[in-house]
Amino acid sequence: MAKGALSNQIRMLRFMAGEMTQAELGLAVGVTRQTIAAIEQGKYSPTLEAAFRIARVFDKPLEEVFQWEEG
Amino acid sequence: MAYREKLAAVNFTAMALVYAVYFTIVATRPPEARLLDMLWLFGMVATAHALVAIGGNLAVRIQSGGGAADERDRAIERRGASIAYAVLLVGMILVGVVMPFTEAPGKIVNTALFAIVIAELTHQGVILLSYRRGWHG
Repeated sequence: MAKGALSNQIRMLRFMAGEMTQAELGLAVGVTRQTIAAIEQGKYSPTLEAAFRIARVFDKPLEEVFQWEEG
Repeated sequence: MAYREKLAAVNFTAMALVYAVYFTIVATRPPEARLLDMLWLFGMVATAHALVAIGGNLAVRIQSGGGAADERDRAIERRGASIAYAVLLVGMILVGVVMPFTEAPGKIVNTALFAIVIAELTHQGVILLSYRRGWHG
């Protein structure tokens, strides 16, 4: 299996969206603030559905929010 | 601490405290104790556990406001349940396959109960550790 890591731009996108808080993003996506924090830190990989929901909140395509980096 | 992390802590502590008392009593009393006495003791301990767990869960809910489980909570729950299942399986093999040939009924019953308690402690413990250490299944 190919090794790699999922990274994301959520923190920057939140900042650009008027300092949106993790709790506000969590509410919009339907997950807890702790889950958003875990996703941001790369500790938890969201489901495809949650990833699309996050991208939809920022009105960005999925690949601008999440990136797959080959290890 | 998040709501579900607190719930796991309460459930772990309630079970550990109450059943520590039960198994201490069972281990230190004479081996010829009647099965009915053991069942009576278990009934009291199970009732105490239910009361402590319900009270603790209500207190956490009032303090934290509750909330539905999200996908990460469910992933952590699955991890806890799958590891606890393996623990329970080992305990049940011991109780159902090995002990009937060598041990008295009272000891078999208590070992089965011990396996269930250890499996549930594993379940809640893994959930608690997963939240604290960032293991998300």
